[in-house]
Amino acid sequence: MRLPHLLSVLLIFSHVLSGCYVLRSSAGGGETSFTPPRMVAAEDIVVPAGYIVEAVATGLTFPTGVAFDEEGGVYVVEAGYSYGEIFTTAQLLKIDAQGRTRLIASSDKGGPWTGVTVFLGDFFVTEGSQITGGRLLRISPEGEISIVAEGLPSRGDHHANAPVAGPDGWIYFGQGTATNSGVVGEDNAEFGWLHRFPEVHDIPCRNITLVGRNYTTRNVLDPDDRGRIETGAFVPFGTSTAQGQVIPGEVPCSGAILRVRPTGGEMELVAWGMRNPFGLAFSPDGRLFATDNSYDVRGSRPIFGTGDLLWEVVPGAWYGWPDFHGEHLIAEGRFRPPGREDPEPLLARHPGKPPRPVAILAVHSSSNGLDFSSSAAFGHVGEVFIAQFGDMASGTGKVMGPVGFKVVRVDVERGVTRDFAVNGGKRNGPASRIGGGGLERPVALRFDPGGESLYIVDFGVMLQQGDHSIPVEKTGVLWRIRRDAPRTGEGG
Amino acid sequence: MMRLAWILLVVLIVLCACGSARRGEPFGDLLLTSDSSRHGEEVFMRYCQPCHPGGDAGLGPAINNKPLPGFLIRMQVRRGFGAMPPFPREVLSDPDLDAVVAYLNDLRRQPRP
Repeated sequence: MRLPHLLSVLLIFSHVLSGCYVLRSSAGGGETSFTPPRMVAAEDIVVPAGYIVEAVATGLTFPTGVAFDEEGGVYVVEAGYSYGEIFTTAQLLKIDAQGRTRLIASSDKGGPWTGVTVFLGDFFVTEGSQITGGRLLRISPEGEISIVAEGLPSRGDHHANAPVAGPDGWIYFGQGTATNSGVVGEDNAEFGWLHRFPEVHDIPCRNITLVGRNYTTRNVLDPDDRGRIETGAFVPFGTSTAQGQVIPGEVPCSGAILRVRPTGGEMELVAWGMRNPFGLAFSPDGRLFATDNSYDVRGSRPIFGTGDLLWEVVPGAWYGWPDFHGEHLIAEGRFRPPGREDPEPLLARHPGKPPRPVAILAVHSSSNGLDFSSSAAFGHVGEVFIAQFGDMASGTGKVMGPVGFKVVRVDVERGVTRDFAVNGGKRNGPASRIGGGGLERPVALRFDPGGESLYIVDFGVMLQQGDHSIPVEKTGVLWRIRRDAPRTGEGG
Repeated sequence: MMRLAWILLVVLIVLCACGSARRGEPFGDLLLTSDSSRHGEEVFMRYCQPCHPGGDAGLGPAINNKPLPGFLIRMQVRRGFGAMPPFPREVLSDPDLDAVVAYLNDLRRQPRP
């Protein structure tokens, strides 16, 4: 056997031994079993030397956001809805020093409440209601609710996302897309919303011109499931599109970052062409950054191998959805799911060239809430911390090991990601899979007003059985990480 | 020659098989031994991290537990394998790929949590 041939054989053997993607079954973090109650043990979470972890509140149901009032009071929102079609009550809760909760405001039809921020003495809560559509709410400390913005296209896969107050005095928030990659399909029936709202589809923020590509699927809206049906991009299920067809843009729209004054009024478009801009944060020098959950391997137009993105938000820019991942066209070949065709472009003309992402995060990590460290008392000043909810494999695509379920920090100048808070042990994954009482699904985080403590919202246990999510109520936790002793002379 | 080849094959198979199925990701600040490795970290983050976060398993298998020599890593990256797409020189230059190999060698030497 000649040496080159030998080397080829060696390469093949090494891969067979380590497992290949096609042969191995999915090993996602939620693909496990769980029996309540959830064990909570801060010592099972590993953080860098000099930091300590504490559980601030436990037994929460689907918490999604944390905020602080001017006196340092801690507040959490519980979503009131979770993937898996579980509807509960959306709530804004105050957490006292003993971890007890006090209700400030609630809604039985607003879920999911996806995040909260405090500005001008009031709470601003994004409501991604699966029933009534998305709204931005303003809630007084006494619990009185008023509407700042409404009519957000939030009844699809993704919702109106966590708000943040800008240095300009506006409230900024993301709005996710209705679909995975622009086409309503059978996967949206699995989510549940297609049966409730068969007219829902993605809405572009500006006029777009379509290639006119249509996708044939089962007619999941037919009670007898007869026949096949064609669906194009940016139109309702069962509606075909034609080459050159123009879809008119409007605001509010899908896959965008929007802003509105805290007193209400007309919403303004900040940036568009994102997929699910879940988290927003302003850096200490006033730049806006967003996490963007990237494509899944599901539905009529599955797209493979696209890491979640960290963007610096440039006003007016288009960020590439549904035809790009970062700077790269998804038709380049490397985003083709195994055994499938290349995903073809949907737009005849692209509104621009997407900017270069600040960082590319792990595929299916569901990189969500983020915040910048701004205090030497905590360290890593200028770095952004990101809560990674963790994969929802195999519903979003197969993985060979759990992805996410941790907090990472990113050097935004170098695009380098490092773990910051993870479950201890040799294997990565949620505590429900690997054992212990550590992290399950970090979904949001925020530094306290002094920048000395990082609060992490842990959504709780959510299992996956194929496409089906199984969230478990009363398993959410609010964690806090802080330095165990003040250090001097450190800025990062 | 044939005998040597088979011995090499067996040794490499055993080495690969002895790597644990998965190792935890590195934690804290990494000890990077060269400028090339430091540059390789940035290249790794853009092209490799999404599927092998921190070298651990994710969309793809773990790569921080396999004692593959640099030339085999280069061959894998250039040709692709299975679900992994090839990364041609127009996407990833030779110096960038060399830097990734240097970074991976450092990555395997890091302490784990």
